[in-house]
Amino acid sequence: MREDKKTPSVRKLRVRKSHIKTRLVLFLLLTAALMLTVIFAQQICPYDPNAQDTSISLQPPSLEHLAGTDRFGRDMFSRILVGLQTSVLSTLCLVVIITVAGTAAGILCGYYGGILDSVVMRISDVCLAFPGLVFALAIASLLGGGLHNAVFALAVISWPKYARIARSQTLSVKNTDYISAARLAGGNSIQIIIRHVLPNSIGPILVTSMLDIGTMLMELAGLSFLGLGAQPPTAELGNMMSGGRSMLQTYPWVIIGPGIAIFAAVVIFNLLGDTFRDYLDPRNSRRN
Amino acid sequence: MEPILTADNLTKIFDEKGKEKFTAVDHISFQLYPGETLGIVGESGSGKSTLAKMISRLTDITEGNLFLCGKEITRVKGKALRRAYEDIQMVFQSPAASFDPRRTLGDGIGESLRNHGVSKVNVQKEAVRLLKECGLSPEFADRYPHEVSGGQCQRAAIARALAIRPKILICDEATSALDVTVQQQIMELLGRMREEREIACIFICHNLGLVQSFCDRLLVMYEGKIVEEGTPDEVIKNPRSDYTKELIEAVL
Repeated sequence: MREDKKTPSVRKLRVRKSHIKTRLVLFLLLTAALMLTVIFAQQICPYDPNAQDTSISLQPPSLEHLAGTDRFGRDMFSRILVGLQTSVLSTLCLVVIITVAGTAAGILCGYYGGILDSVVMRISDVCLAFPGLVFALAIASLLGGGLHNAVFALAVISWPKYARIARSQTLSVKNTDYISAARLAGGNSIQIIIRHVLPNSIGPILVTSMLDIGTMLMELAGLSFLGLGAQPPTAELGNMMSGGRSMLQTYPWVIIGPGIAIFAAVVIFNLLGDTFRDYLDPRNSRRN
Repeated sequence: MEPILTADNLTKIFDEKGKEKFTAVDHISFQLYPGETLGIVGESGSGKSTLAKMISRLTDITEGNLFLCGKEITRVKGKALRRAYEDIQMVFQSPAASFDPRRTLGDGIGESLRNHGVSKVNVQKEAVRLLKECGLSPEFADRYPHEVSGGQCQRAAIARALAIRPKILICDEATSALDVTVQQQIMELLGRMREEREIACIFICHNLGLVQSFCDRLLVMYEGKIVEEGTPDEVIKNPRSDYTKELIEAVL
């Protein structure tokens, strides 16, 4: 009887595993499509995103202008594509910066400990002590507007999360026998960190950074919406929505188009991150 | 004969904030001569593993001095410590945990050679040769630690420890995690390697019966101190301390 009971659960596990794989492939394809759109935005947009023609301003969506035109008569569809490019590329850039910087700081702190650890962790405490976006707003307004400054401001508030994950991972890896063995094998600290500590602690960090892409996209668009990110006439989803917010009731396409673009991008990245986490979760897979 | 390793009043005190001071190893002195096997016996918590980590410099020495071939290595760091590791190697208690789960056994075995500038191809050849010497077939070089049994993993760990041709091999409870028959095989392997390579061995164990035939000399540790010292026969036939008597009774 017990054997019979056991069989379905094993099968269930396999089904779930293959289910996750299909999902992963699906979302990877979706992400690839999004990334292709982003990379070739300049080539596929039908009009010059910055060409103004006031004679056709604020036209509703039509076959000619798929997402309508804004108040300067610029083609919204082209601007959404190019705006998506600006938003997504700067978000990816931001996530790479915080992942690399945070991980490096965390691993060095965890591995060496001592004064370095205390100093860096206190700095990260300071960064975490303020509500995130408020602190970012303060930094961005201190530095002045501009996409670079917005990215920098968000990087300052978000690296500590990665530093903490990396540090705790490193602390648990550091005391294992295989690190002792690596030391006995005559490796210096840098070799040990690169060969053994990093590969054994990178998993949770990668998952966090993938899940963070969506959040960062929203926050970057938020800063731009408040006028602290990309400056006009640069097309960026946040500032496009900000520019159209007074026309929400009269010419809704001016704000709905960029909104849908942000929504779609965030959903795709979040789904990919979630699936990636499930895929790496040891409870869903038997390592073979 | 010159001792190869001299421990002079080695002491380890754990002094962490908010905790009471704890002396794990208390003024321990001994000499290890080339080719001999020194057994260290004691119950869990008697400080033998800490002592092993001190000798291999994996943990800092609070007091006392440690000499390798007459040279002091108590507090050496960096390059000098790495040079000391050419002569001192260690086999750990838990075989699977002593290999990086993300690297193959072959990688692990060859790591010390790679660190000493041996080319990748030669490292691979040497790893396979060492595996064979330790009774494992060449395909084990491409396996991961979780793909092999405890005994096979411990054989690979011995191969790794021998790769750099050390003069001293520390076995810290090297057979404790294995079942009795595998234990016997590992003991045989260690014995053979010891003879062939003339390695001095520090064999740490809590089982008096296991060390009796294997060691030339025996230290019995209790609460961080040496309570008994001598050849295994001397210790077992004429135990002087009460603790040793208890240990012997436990075996019988």
